[in-house]
Amino acid sequence: MNIFKCINPLVCASKLLIEQSSVFTRQCLVAKVPCHRRYIRRHLTCLTTCSSHTHHLNKKRCFSEMDSGHRDLLTRSDVIRDESLEMDGDSNDKRHPSQRPPETFNLDVLVALLRQENAADICVIKVPEHIKYTEYFIVVSGVSPRHLRAMALYAIKVYKFMKKDHDAHVKLEGKTADNWMCIDFGNIVVHFMLPETREEYELDKLWTLRSYDEQLSKIPDEKLPEDFIYDLEDTK
Amino acid sequence: MAMHLFTRSFTGLFADGFCLIPQRTFGVSAAAAAIQKMTRVRVVDNSPLGNTPYHRPPRVIHVYTKNGIGKVGDKVLLAIKGQKKAALIVGHRMPGQRMDPRFDSNNVVLIEENGNPTGTRIKVPIPTHLRKRMEGDYSKVLAIASSFV
Repeated sequence: MNIFKCINPLVCASKLLIEQSSVFTRQCLVAKVPCHRRYIRRHLTCLTTCSSHTHHLNKKRCFSEMDSGHRDLLTRSDVIRDESLEMDGDSNDKRHPSQRPPETFNLDVLVALLRQENAADICVIKVPEHIKYTEYFIVVSGVSPRHLRAMALYAIKVYKFMKKDHDAHVKLEGKTADNWMCIDFGNIVVHFMLPETREEYELDKLWTLRSYDEQLSKIPDEKLPEDFIYDLEDTK
Repeated sequence: MAMHLFTRSFTGLFADGFCLIPQRTFGVSAAAAAIQKMTRVRVVDNSPLGNTPYHRPPRVIHVYTKNGIGKVGDKVLLAIKGQKKAALIVGHRMPGQRMDPRFDSNNVVLIEENGNPTGTRIKVPIPTHLRKRMEGDYSKVLAIASSFV
């Protein structure tokens, strides 16, 4: 699937919440003015109903909208490196401190943005402490492969905007698959699946029931043969 | 399972029908290289392809790394039931890092071409250092695992 065909309208929609990049605004404003206006209205109506942590993002958007004339002020570290305002040797984030959001990317932010993206069947599972994998396990359904990709890329975009210097970058897994994508945020893992895939794998059941899961109990017990070699003689 | 198929030819104790404690006439050496071409592997997920019995154990025919050695997290190509299938290594007999688990069998999980696992559950414990490896998509395999080591 050609990813670039999908990204352009998605970028148009998603960057409105993260209006830091002047390059993107230039492209969007010039080339796709009608869609830009439509997405502004959609996001404004969504944002007014969201909780306070996304309200801050709304304020950020207004700030950048006003200053769109002064393009030299707005920079984004991964787009324009030579226009950075402060040459800080310690941090890789070359944004001005006023452009960095004070909130951290946590579960509430993620669930809010998933709801905003019309994700179906958001299932958040708190993983118990003795399973040393992650803290929260989220399974989300999408309408179509394109919808899944849009949600995943938007989540990564918001994470990149809100992450601090000590947070690692996040990889999107399952880019070549069209029915299952996942993102590992360290303490949260999100899986974007189509409803059919979700029925097939039943991850919600596995992660809530753990050892009582029915698919797991259907696996027949393996019996080792009598002559199985257990110990290893180190002849070296 | 792959194990009993190759030990059968070695021990030769099946003539009398039962064996109490196998008297080994050979020595077992430590593994030299983890998983390479022609190693017999054990498929640990609940996929029908991996669990239906066949007269030949699944063998590795190609390892997708720079050198031909496969460690935990590497993709390999298996020959199972007369067909080729991609798989992911989730444990090998060769000792690795000090605090990483070593398994008694070379475990493998079947994978499709797009990266989705073929089976839906894994009963065998999966090592958690699989998650720290950056070069590969392991979250899907970790999501269908039932226990971690």
